[in-house]
Amino acid sequence: MATVRQGFGGSPGDAPLSSVLPHPYRPRGVLARQRRGTVKLASGLPWILPALVLCVGLIYYCIGYTGLISTWKWDGISPNPQHVGFGNYSQLFHDPLFWGAVRHTVIFFAVTFTVQTFLGLTFAVLLHSRIRLAVVYKVIVFIPVVLAPAIMAPVFQAMLAPGGQFNTLLRYVGLGTLAQPWIGQTSTALPALMAITVWQFTGFTFVLYYAAMSQIDQSVLEAARLDGAGNLRVITSIVWPSVAGTTFALATLSVIGALKTFDIPWLVTQAGPYYATNFFGTYIYQEIIQLDNVGYGAALSIVLLVIAVAFGVVLQMWRRRKAL
Amino acid sequence: MIRRPRFRARPLASAALCLTMPLAASSQAGATPAHKATTTTINWWGWTPTDSAEATAEIAAFNRVYPDIKVNFKLITIANYPTAMRPALVSGEGPDLFELQPGAYVTEFGSFAKDMAPVAAQALGSNWRSKIAPSGIDGFTYNGKLTALSVGSVYAGTLWVNEDLFKKYHLSPPTTLAQWMSVCKAFKSHGVGCFVQGNNTEGFLQDTLQSITNSVQPGLWTAASKGDAKWTSPGIVKALTIWKGLFSDGIMEPGSLGISQYPQANNDFLTGKYAMIMMGTWYTANVTKSGMTSALQAAGVSHPKPFPILPVPFPNVGGHPSAMYGDADYGLAVYNKSKNTAAAETFAKWLATSVAGQQYVANQLEDLPSLKSVTPNYAAAGIVSPSLQLGPIKRLAQTVGTVTEPRESLLSSAMQNGTGGILAAAQGVATGSETPQAAAKALQAAAVASGVRFK
Repeated sequence: MATVRQGFGGSPGDAPLSSVLPHPYRPRGVLARQRRGTVKLASGLPWILPALVLCVGLIYYCIGYTGLISTWKWDGISPNPQHVGFGNYSQLFHDPLFWGAVRHTVIFFAVTFTVQTFLGLTFAVLLHSRIRLAVVYKVIVFIPVVLAPAIMAPVFQAMLAPGGQFNTLLRYVGLGTLAQPWIGQTSTALPALMAITVWQFTGFTFVLYYAAMSQIDQSVLEAARLDGAGNLRVITSIVWPSVAGTTFALATLSVIGALKTFDIPWLVTQAGPYYATNFFGTYIYQEIIQLDNVGYGAALSIVLLVIAVAFGVVLQMWRRRKAL
Repeated sequence: MIRRPRFRARPLASAALCLTMPLAASSQAGATPAHKATTTTINWWGWTPTDSAEATAEIAAFNRVYPDIKVNFKLITIANYPTAMRPALVSGEGPDLFELQPGAYVTEFGSFAKDMAPVAAQALGSNWRSKIAPSGIDGFTYNGKLTALSVGSVYAGTLWVNEDLFKKYHLSPPTTLAQWMSVCKAFKSHGVGCFVQGNNTEGFLQDTLQSITNSVQPGLWTAASKGDAKWTSPGIVKALTIWKGLFSDGIMEPGSLGISQYPQANNDFLTGKYAMIMMGTWYTANVTKSGMTSALQAAGVSHPKPFPILPVPFPNVGGHPSAMYGDADYGLAVYNKSKNTAAAETFAKWLATSVAGQQYVANQLEDLPSLKSVTPNYAAAGIVSPSLQLGPIKRLAQTVGTVTEPRESLLSSAMQNGTGGILAAAQGVATGSETPQAAAKALQAAAVASGVRFK
């Protein structure tokens, strides 16, 4: 019983090991002290201290400091920032650009999440079937995930320009009437960015669904087949519910991704034209970096944080209710 | 295997050298003047020269005179310049030398710069003000301090045309709005783009708007920038209406709001896809064979063949000839926390006030030299087609000598890029999201919010 003997030791590493043992094997004294909570605190603290220092010292300090800055009117340089209380927040809720960013974020999330989920699931189902060159298809679907947006942005700018390759292709296949300046007009700039995002991140969705489907019990699928279920029925009634946990995780990541969106809209359209592709990230960047409104940008950052946390809580509650 | 102690003698020799060097130095000091063997290294951060090779050549020329000062140039794109400078200067770890531009940069970073007026006086004498282009003094003076020594100036308010394309289709550069529309129609009928401009960022659309306004009511743009006239003036509304017309009348390309001037519009012009582009005096660098070849290579042309480009006045689109405008392109500022102030001042002085340094700047044809006594050596520049280009280029250089209106120095970054600012107004009107009247009203509000006091 080497593990039990380790549990009696006085070193800080022993307590976690003994705590994972079933009750009959735990030493009585340790159990008693654990009930009082003293051992857990004393022995666990050194283990979590580095992470605690990092989190509390860096992340939470930064959040707190950003919160403080958000009550200032400050250019980021001046040694004497002007205290404005909640003035920045009051201004923010009357700012049409802020609400525009909210609207774009919601649309962006709804469309990209829906399309990516559909495509990712479809690719995963297809590649779980016995098709030739499956590995090649997997690589092709996943490659965009590893390409840096900074590298792809100029490519998409060129492709989607009025004289770009996409319009050339449309004209070549006889759809010239559809050719237009995709990123140069307010009506199509956001859909164009959503298409780029779907292209880039569908591979990620696919990989998660593919892995999740590998965990589905084959006997359940075989039983469904024996009961006469067709492909569509199997997907909708067995596969889709079985990967609900993955869908939830993807929804969470998509919400966070949509709230943090910066690189593609900034690099491809500069958040324009006329704010048509302005998001929280681009707006915060503009305010802090281009316009030196560091206080207002900090207020935007805090609001973004609150929204992200609120979404996180709501999604967690939904997950617990659904027992995913 | 036993290794031979081949290098063991080296440490011994080094130790002996260290011991004997002070003796040798002290014996030499008595015989000859002390030679300063120490090299001072200074760091210079800037967005221009945009070609690092040009900066390297400038430093090499400087080092022929001052071999003991090593200059490290760090090129930062202008879009990222404030992002890089702000933390560097605030932290006390900024570069010894940094570049400033009249307007927002001087306002934001001027407090970190040493007063360069004594340096200018030391280099040019007590009447130094009369020897430097006025825009290089006014634009860099902030709270009574000369924050930087102007290296050169740039001016805008001109179109540049591809002479070969105009000749090929028997067309002349437009001088009025009607001609501009007609020329564009003609080019498009031949499958050639007419006028290209990147309007996804502020800067070049501001140039076009200022040129239109100068044609509608000379001086109004500058007056509004100063607070002497309101942005809601009928002249500004008319200028915005004409601006809108450029999009609906086939002059401005559809999709121009989605492209940038550099590199996209510039590349499209240089590769012959378009016949005209809105650029200023800095584009003179492309009249030389080497400048054009380099630009074509940067545009992706594998076998570059330089062609002649010409500057032409902005068309009279509003009833008056449109005056040019401009200010100092950049100036060299010495960081007030630099530990190498003397060396940094020496380099700034050489580039901005010495004939040798200014001649070097002038001969690049990108900036017009700050020192009035220096003129570009066109003969040595290697112009693509001297018979065609030399006349217009010299006329351009003469014209800018009379320019009185600034380009950037009166406008804050909030006025340019902020809510309701010039970028928003121009894009809002162009997309039809705002009327010219509403955009003018937003401009006025943005100016007031950015601190401009109106009479």
